[in-house]
Amino acid sequence: MNLTNVIDVDDVMEKAAQAAAIFSQLDQEHTDRIVRAVYEAGFNNRVKLAKMAYEETGIGVWEHKVIKNVVATQLVYEDIKGLKTVGIISEDEKLGIVEIAQPIGPIFAIIPVTNPTSTVLFKILISLKTRNPIIIRPHSRARKCSNEAARICYEAALKEDAPEDCIQWLKRISREQTQAFMGHKDLALVLATGGSGLVKAAYSSGTPALGVGSGNVPVFIERSADAQFAVEQIFISKTFDNGTVCASEQAVVVEQCIANEVINHFKQHNSYFLSKEEIKLLEPVAFNQALGVMNVEIIGQPASIIAQTANIKAPSDVSLLIAPLEGVGKEYPLSSEILAPILAFYIVEDFEQAVNLCIDLNFYGGIGHTVSLFSNNEEKIKQFACIMNAGRIVVNMPSSDGAVGGIYNTLHPSFTLGCGTGGKNITTDNITAKHLLNIQRITRRRTNERFKNFDKSLYFDESLDAKAIEEKFNRNY
Amino acid sequence: MVKFNKKKNSLVCSFTGRLDTQNCMQWQDELIAKVKELKFPVCFDLQGVNYIASSFLRVCLKVAKEVKSENLSLINLCPSIKKVFKIAGFDKQLNIN
Repeated sequence: MNLTNVIDVDDVMEKAAQAAAIFSQLDQEHTDRIVRAVYEAGFNNRVKLAKMAYEETGIGVWEHKVIKNVVATQLVYEDIKGLKTVGIISEDEKLGIVEIAQPIGPIFAIIPVTNPTSTVLFKILISLKTRNPIIIRPHSRARKCSNEAARICYEAALKEDAPEDCIQWLKRISREQTQAFMGHKDLALVLATGGSGLVKAAYSSGTPALGVGSGNVPVFIERSADAQFAVEQIFISKTFDNGTVCASEQAVVVEQCIANEVINHFKQHNSYFLSKEEIKLLEPVAFNQALGVMNVEIIGQPASIIAQTANIKAPSDVSLLIAPLEGVGKEYPLSSEILAPILAFYIVEDFEQAVNLCIDLNFYGGIGHTVSLFSNNEEKIKQFACIMNAGRIVVNMPSSDGAVGGIYNTLHPSFTLGCGTGGKNITTDNITAKHLLNIQRITRRRTNERFKNFDKSLYFDESLDAKAIEEKFNRNY
Repeated sequence: MVKFNKKKNSLVCSFTGRLDTQNCMQWQDELIAKVKELKFPVCFDLQGVNYIASSFLRVCLKVAKEVKSENLSLINLCPSIKKVFKIAGFDKQLNIN
């Protein structure tokens, strides 16, 4: 029985350890057969799970959640299916290095409320591909749909003779139990996708963790950009699932010379520009000043509902609320990350001013995550990218799907986006199967001839500095 | 498959081949019944076993419960099977030689 009412942490971990043991014997063919079956089961339930997620959480748009489930199954499967994850995965005769992939062991997967089924499907696929058992820890507001996604995957896996308990899921779990799991001696990894508190707890648990950081994605429309195209892409991205993707645009920065054009295009896309008074009305609805974070009630809500809640008389068919702001920071609550169809909007004089503003936005709660740029000037693209602190700099594409990968680019499709040390993460990568392996290396003798032939007694002569040693070390080489 | 052999005061169960779920289902009831009936110390001889499924681990746990874990020993494990018992943490509970 995998749906645990009263959770015994040790019992769950014992089962996971046993599953890991059985997993260790599986060959690539058997592993791939399990992954294929699970992918198909997840994909075939993409609509049912999307509807369940919407009904249970009230967040986003179910049709968009279908697309998320497709990315988490079809595109993730396409991305990982050919990956060697068992035994010898590479041999380099010249370097004398042979790499062997080993599973890491039981994984504790924290699932966010914003992507409660797609993240489950994604994490299960990459865990099974690497022969690691996984324990799904759903968000308290999305237990039913997350656990149903896990159940569907488990059933499919067992039909292909996967180890028993290779997927476990938890019904109710307290904060203390979550911590007990994360610090359990038999746990190999915490795969933490969620709020900053949980991610920090994961990193503090003493168990290796792969986490995410929060985003605050600026999108800069540079003067060489095709303004109409840029607006279309930003609109698609920011309204996708009502803005729940952490890589979705939070603020538009546009150069003065094309600002009117950009504004007009937005207006043609059911976007409503707020007055200063309306911004004041929206701020307390969208942002909790006391806690310094967005209000959870508006996450993934339609723009029309948000406008109504804030007593803003926007057109009934409004899809996006745009707030022209004059600064970034605490005095401008809408310059923070808000996972809803609300965009901050800035007009600047030139490229330099734009980059400076984007740095402010990037460093205001979104370090290491994602930044977006629309430009056809290769030089400017590189300048912009080198200054930003972001794992993903997405160019001329919607940033939400762009950062997730697999649709608009060749980034690994992922629902866990690493944010590097800026986001207190270990990597800026899009997390995928390759991160869930221990790679062992057989190393053959390939002697360093220079070191071998070098007179080592010279190292003991303090009068010889690095340059003098190098000169002798590389002589006649 | 499994062969039973009663030796003095112990029951030796010799397994061969691939002990997957289906294979285990064929003999596990009979094995548990024998263990319950005889109450002897039990020895699992895994000479020639190259794969075990979760079901086999479960059988080990059931037998260990029946005869007490110190009275269940496993012998002739190949390295990959020995590793399975190590990862599962069974080496701390059972006698594995």
